[in-house]
Amino acid sequence: MKCRLCDREAAAELCHHHERAKGRVEAGYAQWVKAYGSIDWKTYLDRVITNAETGQWAKEVAELLVGRLNDKNKT
Amino acid sequence: MGANAKAGGYTLVICEKPDAARRISEALSGGSGSSSLVEGVPTFTFRRGTEEFVVCSAQGHVYAVSDPFKERSVYPIFDAEWYRLDLVEKGNASAAKRIAAVRKLAMGADHFVNACDFDVEGETIGFNLLRYACEGKEEGALRAKFSTLTSEELVKSFGSAAPRSGQGLAKAGRARHLLDFMWGVNLSRALSLSATASAGGYRMVSIGRVQGPTLKFVVEREAEVQEFVPMPYWKTRGVFESGRMRLTATYSKERIETVVEAVRVREECQGKEGTVTSVRKGVSWLPPNPPFNIGDLQREAYRAFGYPPSRTLQIAERLYLGSLISYPRTGSQKLPRSINFPRVLRGLQEMADYSKEAGAILRGELNPVEGTKVDSAHPAIHPTGENPGKLLDSAEARLYDMIVRRFLSLFAPPAKREKISVVIAVERHEFHVEGARTVFPGWLAYYGKYWSWKDDDVPQVKEGDRLRVAQVHVEEKFDQRPHRFNQSSLLEKMEREGIGTKATRADTISTLLARGYISGESLAVTALGESVIEVADECAPSIVTSELTRRIEGRLDGVEREVEDGRELIRDAVRSITEQMLALRADQEAIGHRLGEASTAIRVAANSLGPCPVCKTGSLKVIRSRKTGKRFVGCTSYQNGCKTSAPLPQRGSIKASRKPCRRCSWPVIYVMGGGHPWRLCVNPSCPSKVKGRDEVQTV
Repeated sequence: MKCRLCDREAAAELCHHHERAKGRVEAGYAQWVKAYGSIDWKTYLDRVITNAETGQWAKEVAELLVGRLNDKNKT
Repeated sequence: MGANAKAGGYTLVICEKPDAARRISEALSGGSGSSSLVEGVPTFTFRRGTEEFVVCSAQGHVYAVSDPFKERSVYPIFDAEWYRLDLVEKGNASAAKRIAAVRKLAMGADHFVNACDFDVEGETIGFNLLRYACEGKEEGALRAKFSTLTSEELVKSFGSAAPRSGQGLAKAGRARHLLDFMWGVNLSRALSLSATASAGGYRMVSIGRVQGPTLKFVVEREAEVQEFVPMPYWKTRGVFESGRMRLTATYSKERIETVVEAVRVREECQGKEGTVTSVRKGVSWLPPNPPFNIGDLQREAYRAFGYPPSRTLQIAERLYLGSLISYPRTGSQKLPRSINFPRVLRGLQEMADYSKEAGAILRGELNPVEGTKVDSAHPAIHPTGENPGKLLDSAEARLYDMIVRRFLSLFAPPAKREKISVVIAVERHEFHVEGARTVFPGWLAYYGKYWSWKDDDVPQVKEGDRLRVAQVHVEEKFDQRPHRFNQSSLLEKMEREGIGTKATRADTISTLLARGYISGESLAVTALGESVIEVADECAPSIVTSELTRRIEGRLDGVEREVEDGRELIRDAVRSITEQMLALRADQEAIGHRLGEASTAIRVAANSLGPCPVCKTGSLKVIRSRKTGKRFVGCTSYQNGCKTSAPLPQRGSIKASRKPCRRCSWPVIYVMGGGHPWRLCVNPSCPSKVKGRDEVQTV
């Protein structure tokens, strides 16, 4: 099975690199909430995507998560 | 008298490189020797007192470890042996000639002197020539030890040349070569054959004892970079005014974790008045940086000139062979008095560039600053004081200047810096401002070209002064992601982790680049590099961990000090390699699939030159004709009707420049091989090609 975000082999939806990056993105949200007082999940993801310091794998995961949010909102 | 005519009775001196042989001959003969060719190899002959000397040289290693099969599909291989280099590397005529010359000269020699570089590699080169070409003369041969190729030191070293009390260095060197061969050949063949089986064509996938852990450092760093999610924080600065004086101070808490807190600081300070509660002035004396060992020199040259470590080593070796600096492959930061500082400094005083500085130092006491690192074989890198007779090329001149200035700076007093630290309180909040300036340059007067501190003055304030808070800036910041390694920081990491040797670390990095495992100035991992580490991590993790390599380095040190048996170390290594190979073989199919895909992707990428400017859908790539065997450029959309093609030079390797031609938008390539690389637009009808002449430029 291939990773949804790259060509690497994956045991589940994502390869181990993107899976770890997803963990980092999710864990980062709590810290951003604390830092800004409040920030919604979508805004957080958007800002992670546009931040120049964000790593490529983390960016790709954040884009995937934003895409999912958009799909959910459509339905 | 020509060496060919010798009847016997002379002393045969074996050097590592031709330049060293010439220098040794000049130094010992006082310039009265003669030279001749033996088997096409320059050889020097002279008399010294009643003794006759013949000096000849290798050209680095002329023997190499190999296996009797030399068949890339055969493994495991544990019966590796030393072979003549010309038998291992087909067509290496130079090694064959040099061995033949030593063999011929050895027949008429009574005494032998090993005058190769005094380190593990030099000792191994000398040992092998004495054992194989001179047929068992390694035990009785004398050893001449020197750290510079100056006449004074060479004469002294030959005067005190003595038989080696042990062969620790050579044994360690030979064990290292044997071990690295078995490690590399077996594990690389296991990986390559797995990849080949999957890819359908031969795929070379190599791994080495030091290569593996080094690559893993880069892979781990790459993951840190790519997974990175930046965390926000805030930085607050206050702008204070009093009359015409204005200063900016940083809030005492350099990193404010929440926006609420940052805004509160601003609200509580904006428009208020602050009081200077503390003004501390101090002085610090900063000593010179220690003398260069090879690692320090490689790092400094990278920082100052951007030279990769392997290039710095090559330049330093040329300077050494030119007798301008001491032996560069040293770990030492010590400068013993035996170097004869006054003589070196007087030599530098003769040179226009250093005359003033060397003269000033000669007037004082000569006690250089030293570092803590020691190397029993050689002192820290230092100039010899000999005047460069010939014009140095720009890279040599730059490195030489850096080495000379570093050496001069060691004798100079520390630099004096004045520091001032001011604290301004605004109610319960504190702001800090610091300034420093150099008030006495000391050693910076010699080395300031390569090292300096920023001077920043702080406006004159005193305790109790009242300052108005004109502005409070709140700046949103984000953590920076980790930096990728560059060649210099990777070398430093290898040193810190204790893997590789001072002589081989730079080569290991070059090999990783050449294999296509890492790329770029800031070292990024390729898909193939990542796959190699993933496969190894899963199936045979110890081949890419530092621990095993470091342990082996420790045991090799033991062999060098003759407290460890080299044969036992090899036996243990064979056991370890066998375990790793069995693990790789057990998972051969899955490994092959992953490596085959990655190496094919690399090969495709290497052959791809860029988008096709004609059909705009395909890409141009290097294709080799099955019929003629010649290479040419063709479009990947050939099957869809794009017939774009172009001839290519048939010699040299080709690398895409990744920048299209400015005139016609066709891909531009570099053709490498022999001299300078050539830049070439592949379009045979490019407007820049006038009268059939290619747009060819040296790069």
